[in-house]
Amino acid sequence: MKMKRHGAALGIVAAGALLLTACGSDNNTQSGGSTGGSTTTAAGAKPDCGGKKSLKSSGSTAQANAMSRFVSKYNAECDGYNLDYTGNGSGAGINEFLAKQTDFAGSDSALSASKGEVDKAKTRCDGNPAWNLPTVFGPIAITYNIPGVSELALDGPTLAKIFSGQITNWNDAAIKKLNPSASLPDLKIAVVYRSDESGTTDNFQQYLTAAGGGAWTKGAGKVFAGGVGSGGSKNDGVATILKQTSGGIAYVEWSFALNSKLATASIATTEGGTPVKVSAETVGKAIDAAKFKNESGNDLALDLSSIHGSKVAGAYPIVLATYEVVCSKYSDADTGKAVKAFLTVAINDGQTGLDANGYVPLPSKLKDKLSAAVKAIS
Amino acid sequence: MTTTESTLDRPASPPAFQPVSGARKTKNLVATVLVGLAFLVAVVPLVWLLITVVAKGFTALLSADWWTHSLKGVLPEEFTGGVYHAIIGTLLQTLVCALIAVPVGVLAAIYLVEYGRGRLARTTTFMVDILSGVPSIVAALFVFALWIGTFGLGQSAFAVSLSLVLLMLPVVVRSTEEMLRLVPQELREASYALGVPKWKTIVKIVLPTALSGVVTGVMLAMARVMGETAPVLVLVGYSKSINFNIFDGNMTSLPLLIYTELTNPLPAGQLRVWGAALTLIILIMLFNLVATVVSRFSAIKTK
Repeated sequence: MKMKRHGAALGIVAAGALLLTACGSDNNTQSGGSTGGSTTTAAGAKPDCGGKKSLKSSGSTAQANAMSRFVSKYNAECDGYNLDYTGNGSGAGINEFLAKQTDFAGSDSALSASKGEVDKAKTRCDGNPAWNLPTVFGPIAITYNIPGVSELALDGPTLAKIFSGQITNWNDAAIKKLNPSASLPDLKIAVVYRSDESGTTDNFQQYLTAAGGGAWTKGAGKVFAGGVGSGGSKNDGVATILKQTSGGIAYVEWSFALNSKLATASIATTEGGTPVKVSAETVGKAIDAAKFKNESGNDLALDLSSIHGSKVAGAYPIVLATYEVVCSKYSDADTGKAVKAFLTVAINDGQTGLDANGYVPLPSKLKDKLSAAVKAIS
Repeated sequence: MTTTESTLDRPASPPAFQPVSGARKTKNLVATVLVGLAFLVAVVPLVWLLITVVAKGFTALLSADWWTHSLKGVLPEEFTGGVYHAIIGTLLQTLVCALIAVPVGVLAAIYLVEYGRGRLARTTTFMVDILSGVPSIVAALFVFALWIGTFGLGQSAFAVSLSLVLLMLPVVVRSTEEMLRLVPQELREASYALGVPKWKTIVKIVLPTALSGVVTGVMLAMARVMGETAPVLVLVGYSKSINFNIFDGNMTSLPLLIYTELTNPLPAGQLRVWGAALTLIILIMLFNLVATVVSRFSAIKTK
């Protein structure tokens, strides 16, 4: 009798499970009609769909939203093919790629030769070199909270001094010089930084090193080394603290600045030059002028100091570049074909609408280089 | 001598009602207030948490797609799609874990209660105690080292289930052990007196008597294991589409979905985070509810 009762309970659970399994659907296209592959594709940019049905990739959280866009385009243009991207951090992404858990990695930094990653990647790719392909660019916005100030211009040396505690008041002469028309209050500067390890902090500190004119001596790295201010966890933590702090200044990914409606500062790249607002166009200019570590070849690891120290007029220099780390040749031809098709979609049709998520679409010069590199993957 | 006299002078028993001193009244009042405050401190965060999750997440649950669709092809800013794939992932991983942990756990408990004497039993109890103190991330890393590092097998939902087994096993052993010990010794003796062998006594008398408690314990252990986040972060990849294969490919569970969508700053992503949190709470609540119902309806008749 007792067994019967248990049977009934189990039966209900089983029936519920069956019901649940019966009505699931992966098809979201009728509700998300905008993802349809109706966009006109540039000639020669059509992906050659095929190979492995389901790719795996993992790594940088900074490019996770861009990846979502790429994948939905890939689903639309290559029917039946899919890629799963896990945003678990650049370090984990590289490790999983090297351990053959994933087909390629997303990373905030290129493979490092000094850590032995380049050699390990060569072993993982069965003797073929791995390539760093910079496909996703996220600008870093300098956001501030000064009551009554809607426009603010800063430059590299001033930022370096603010974030290392050498400038402590908003009415400092150096800031006044950059903002002759603004009425800056007598207010203490409250620096807000990322308390967690982050590629955003790393790139921002690299920028301060490159553009600070010697005022930044703390080096780069994933942990904020300025020694002033208060920390917030992740982008949203920083944004929340900044909103509550009068006189606050912080660096956050552009997407968070946009979504939290924070005031962003313009950056002057040359002395006396016009300060530049962060936008897809201005960041694109800085990226287009970038130099590579190896000017020839398909490994497109960027020389970041050429972006951060950019003197190009109208270019916004503080950018977080994220890479896809791929094998130049996959020992499994099916994987190579699918990776190639996915990246083709990513650098072409995947670029539309990227700025809505706070990313910068690839500028034309870099896109050409990337196309050549992707074509060479096998 | 004087002491004897005073003893004799005293009343045989102290008067039943004595006036309560002011100090005792104050102590009583202070203790009552403290206990009341402690109760409030314990309840306020719980209620607050529930209200926050419900307020922020319930709009996500209202759409029909939420329960029947995955997130495949959904852009970060779109309010479409659902968490069907994550619900399936959570249930599959938990069920597979239970399939392994329950038989092993119940058999271990039977050994401890019915057979275990001496050193082996003591070691087993000790090991179960240690296992119950292992943090989930350590269990996850152990399985990672063994499954992926040593055996060279890929990340999969099955690896997650294996690490969940490590977390579930001690709970099952402990609760089953308690339930089996509650079975009156007289039942066993009556069975032996009728000439029933020991193994048959355990299968036909002891287990059915303890069954409701065992099932409740298992259900609670499953509900506990469902929300574990550390194993899914280490042992399986995120996927936006439905996957029924626990041995291959990425499989999303609700905690993993929450963790992943946290990096999405857009309002749609935030809604998905709170919606998934609410879904997980509802799922665990259902398990607890089923456990209560099972124990209510199959409790041993005491009359």
